[in-house]
Amino acid sequence: MSEDRADRVTRLAGLGFTIAYAALIGWLFARQPQTVAEVTGGLAATIGVYSINQQAFADGVRFFRNDQFVEARMAFARADPATRDARTQFYIAYSFYRQGWGRLYHDDALYTEGVAAIDRAIALAPGGRLVVDDDNLQMRTGEELKAELEAGRRREASDFNPMRLFRERK
Amino acid sequence: MTNALREAVILPVAFLTVTLLGGVRIADATSLVPPSVFALVLGLLVVRVAVQSGTLVPERLLGPSRSALANANGLVVLLALWLASAQVIAVLIPESGLPRMLFALFLLILLVNTAVAAPNRTRLLRSLAVTFGTLFLLKFVVLRELSAPGTGGLKRVLQTLLEGITLGVLLQPPSHAAAGYVALLSLVLFLISLFLLPAQTASRQGGHLTRQDGLLKRHHDA
Repeated sequence: MSEDRADRVTRLAGLGFTIAYAALIGWLFARQPQTVAEVTGGLAATIGVYSINQQAFADGVRFFRNDQFVEARMAFARADPATRDARTQFYIAYSFYRQGWGRLYHDDALYTEGVAAIDRAIALAPGGRLVVDDDNLQMRTGEELKAELEAGRRREASDFNPMRLFRERK
Repeated sequence: MTNALREAVILPVAFLTVTLLGGVRIADATSLVPPSVFALVLGLLVVRVAVQSGTLVPERLLGPSRSALANANGLVVLLALWLASAQVIAVLIPESGLPRMLFALFLLILLVNTAVAAPNRTRLLRSLAVTFGTLFLLKFVVLRELSAPGTGGLKRVLQTLLEGITLGVLLQPPSHAAAGYVALLSLVLFLISLFLLPAQTASRQGGHLTRQDGLLKRHHDA
């Protein structure tokens, strides 16, 4: 290979590598991943090869239905370590809702974490439309769950309505 | 090391790595912070003094005599240099309070003064190494020690007094011990990369002083 040709190859390869490296850095600044799993998962999701751990997800759903919300979230975190799956994040948000729900008052801290999770889920859903096909849930869309969580955090006159004692958890 | 390797691979990767490492802020949660607008402006000043001093000869990176591919490599180096300069400055400026303002002002005055003084390459590199090194020590050793949560009773008392006297504008938010190492690595890598930039050199050839920046062909009688 002549020197000129070798130079051209070096320059072209260098340019390609630099552009890819710059794109990676830009992605890291934009996404702010906190763990290596988030970095690898996020990159895998970018090229469309990310998948959740189905066994861990099934464990999470089972815990969720048994009202074991802390255990459910641990299983969901194992299923989706990169927080890139909208459905898993929806269940995490729902677990915060159910755990924080109370007849007399709602747990603001849990509801706040629920809002963060549902925001993540909606952001990850294609076109922001998130519908979860689960007959055991009364709220199956991201919008319903987010509205319920946000309503739970607001202080309103209706909070003092004695009829709220008869409300049911969704 | 060939010019192509240096321009296409080593310098862009080194400067982009500085940009990445310089953005790392390690506290309770790790975050990546892009350089502020002020840091970007100061970064431009660094590029300007680098060109002025001959540390960087832009015509050796961009010019009509070079191929389009070589010019693309050169443009990437210039952009990466600018971002890395801004990020290194952002690393050296404290996070908050009076020190942030003072450090920023000091850097602005220093870079303007350096531009006016028009140092040569050696002096500029020496000056940047000393200045950035000093600011690094002030931020990551002195200010960090002052702001670190007190372990003994005496330190806590002194810290409370200091906070009271300075109305809390001196102390910085706590940072992880690793933050200093990451910042030092980015700073050292930046200075090495500056040294590797295509520079204006001079050599004596048979009683003639020849500038070897590929552009100026003037020969002066020795």
